[in-house]
Amino acid sequence: MFKWSIILDNLPFLLSGAWTTFSLTVVSMFFATVAGLLVGLLNMFGGKIVGAITRLYIEAVRGTPALLLILIVYYALPIIGVNLPQFPAAAVSLAVCYAAYIAEVFRSAVESIPKGQSEAALSLGMSQTQALRYVILPQTFRRVLPPLANEFAALIKDTSLVAFISMQDLLFNAKIIGARTYNIMSPYIGAAIIYLIMTTPVMQWSRSLEKKVD
Amino acid sequence: MAGDVVPEGKLLVVDQLHKSFGALEVIKGVSFDMDCRERLVLMGPSGSGKSTLVRCINWIEPPSAGSITFDGRVVETGKSDIRRLREEIGMVFQQFNVFPHLTALQNVALGPVVVKKTPRKEAEIEAMELLAKVGLSHRADHKPAQMSGGEQQRVAIARALAMHPKLMLFDEPTSSIDVELIHEVLDVMVKLADEGMTMIVVTHEMGFAKEVADRVVFMDQGLIIETGTPSEVFEHPQCERTQSFLSKVHLA
Repeated sequence: MFKWSIILDNLPFLLSGAWTTFSLTVVSMFFATVAGLLVGLLNMFGGKIVGAITRLYIEAVRGTPALLLILIVYYALPIIGVNLPQFPAAAVSLAVCYAAYIAEVFRSAVESIPKGQSEAALSLGMSQTQALRYVILPQTFRRVLPPLANEFAALIKDTSLVAFISMQDLLFNAKIIGARTYNIMSPYIGAAIIYLIMTTPVMQWSRSLEKKVD
Repeated sequence: MAGDVVPEGKLLVVDQLHKSFGALEVIKGVSFDMDCRERLVLMGPSGSGKSTLVRCINWIEPPSAGSITFDGRVVETGKSDIRRLREEIGMVFQQFNVFPHLTALQNVALGPVVVKKTPRKEAEIEAMELLAKVGLSHRADHKPAQMSGGEQQRVAIARALAMHPKLMLFDEPTSSIDVELIHEVLDVMVKLADEGMTMIVVTHEMGFAKEVADRVVFMDQGLIIETGTPSEVFEHPQCERTQSFLSKVHLA
């Protein structure tokens, strides 16, 4: 049976979980974006060997579940002496995972810039790096925002995977409330509403950006 | 400004240039040279290799074989050599390729600021002068999306001139422009020629060629098949291929 009262009575507990979800998303997204830009650029301009290594990384991450990565970082890495507390372990896993997706976002944005742009930059005597810095990337920036916002929304949802390493995020706390109150339906619906409150504005923003770019 | 002083002798020597894309050989051994202040118009049917040839001259397409000597130096494939070459050779593209995120003024000033490390203020003052020269002072703060094709192409010409090139390459500069705006661009090019700019122009504009060119070079299937003054080539073409091409251009 669904009861609003259960959500309202446990709201502070749900919100503290939501805060974990939110802060984990922001931290992971920040590092994923920085790393993703770097990996994407290395993949495109790093030469053959670096290109192959980054391609391998991107494909490996895209072909395996994010959950597996989280479990490896939190449970398997300590075996070889790398002990990370919950939050950093979760953030590192999600950042490593999303950096691969974001690298692809940057790559496709750079490749969508007509070749004539870099030719024009090079014909002025610019180096490859200068052409990238002053001509290509500034044009990429606007094209990259809508898909980045989409990745952000996807990451908000994927942070729920950290419940598997018993991190007290929104989903985990909802589960605890369900166990405590013997009402499973209500806290899960409460969690769904809070997830939607976080993801909807991001997706709306992405959509409005897409319209602007067109 | 345009047309810096250049020592005597040939400005450009192209020797046995070849260019292949995979198995397809687009340029099959082209040689020619140019003096300072010379204006050369390059003509030929599509696929004859004329665009590829001008793109090889500033190494936007690296030649497969042969050599290019510019301003007394043989161009080596080292990065710094090629960048210096490109600094000294301006290029104007068929598709304009102006930078859409920058205003006309910023488009023109970017090269000097980034490549020559000219202080921004100084670069912008000169960019304003160049925009005035191409008749676009009133468009300085506009972005390319707000401009016509003819205006964008004139910004592109000003952008190339900002680097004080010793040679300007024009790769079909009017082919993507509305017919009624073509003259805006041609007028600017004629003005440049009058000032003594050394130019290679790929174009089918016969009127421009007759007015401006010292020499018309006709290409077909990757080779130069005829070369001469405009009146020689246009009025008494020697090759059958040139004759049939010119008859079609005349009709158009």
